Amino acid sequence: MIIPIRCASCGKPIAQLWGDYQRRTAQGESAKTVMDELGLVRYCCRAQFMGHVDLIDEIAKFKKG
Amino acid sequence: MEIKLLSQDKTQVRVVVKGTTPAEMNTYRRTVLTTLPAMAIDTVEFVENSSALYDEMLAHRLGLVVLKTDTESYFEKAKCKCKGAGCARCTLELTLEVEGPGIVYAEQLKSKDPAVIPVHGKTPLVKLLDNQKVKLIAHAILSTGQEHIKFSPGLLYYQGYPQIKVGAVKNPEAIAEMCPTNVFEADSKKLTVKNKEACILCMACVDASKGDVEVSGSATDFILTIEPWGQLTPGQMVDGCVDALHEQIDALSEEIKKLK
Ligand SMILES: [Zn+2]
Ligand SMILES: [Zn+2]
Repeated sequence: MIIPIRCASCGKPIAQLWGDYQRRTAQGESAKTVMDELGLVRYCCRAQFMGHVDLIDEIAKFKKG
Repeated sequence: MEIKLLSQDKTQVRVVVKGTTPAEMNTYRRTVLTTLPAMAIDTVEFVENSSALYDEMLAHRLGLVVLKTDTESYFEKAKCKCKGAGCARCTLELTLEVEGPGIVYAEQLKSKDPAVIPVHGKTPLVKLLDNQKVKLIAHAILSTGQEHIKFSPGLLYYQGYPQIKVGAVKNPEAIAEMCPTNVFEADSKKLTVKNKEACILCMACVDASKGDVEVSGSATDFILTIEPWGQLTPGQMVDGCVDALHEQIDALSEEIKKLK
């Protein structure tokens, strides 16, 4: 839906890094390099980014029931 | 106990602690996690929310936002003069009023106290389409990780100090290549330990060398890592941890005295 504010496992704040990650991977940089440089060391935090799909743009078109 | 600073940067501080026990290290870890006060948003009143996120979801996201904490001018609600009713010494009001389209960032929260603001301003809270609107009043309080993990100021964790024995290794270059933290240096004949303190005890070298390299973590010496989320500095975390422990030990000895 929307990137979690913190890593669900270790609690590190990660949402502020998502914009950078998205922009840089779209430009063709590898996810590994970007995450290393953003300081996402543990695999729990890396999993949050790798498994995330921004669905809020789609969902926002529909009314909340 | 002997303490040596290993490294220090924006995100973490690493220290070598020698001559102690796992029990003592674990006490520090748990104290930092549960008893240090930090600020976080605790209640949210919604005036309007036509975003895609339900009120509860947005309130939850707001709660997890890291706020710069001023432990000097705020008190925990239970210890405050107002006895938990809520006043300026224990509760801080933040407001948010935004209209779409666009991403709403944590920096758009208007705090009544300029000293207590989101640490990471670029934290996306919600994304709004045209005509969508969010208006809310949030209340931040000072509390501890015991009540909710969002009040925890960071992590303190430890590992046994790496003890690495290199025997007669057949494929030194392959093993040096395999180590994820580049602990070894190798030529075609010899494997040497270059950066012992980087070892995370993953045992990849032990498996690859079929036991020719031996790795273990010490039970008396440790590498301690302090990783603050941003509410407090690493120094404040250690000071607070020691104070909280002293308080607990004093309380315990008082109780024991009463038994006699
Ligand atoms: Zn994590
Ligand atoms: Zn009060």
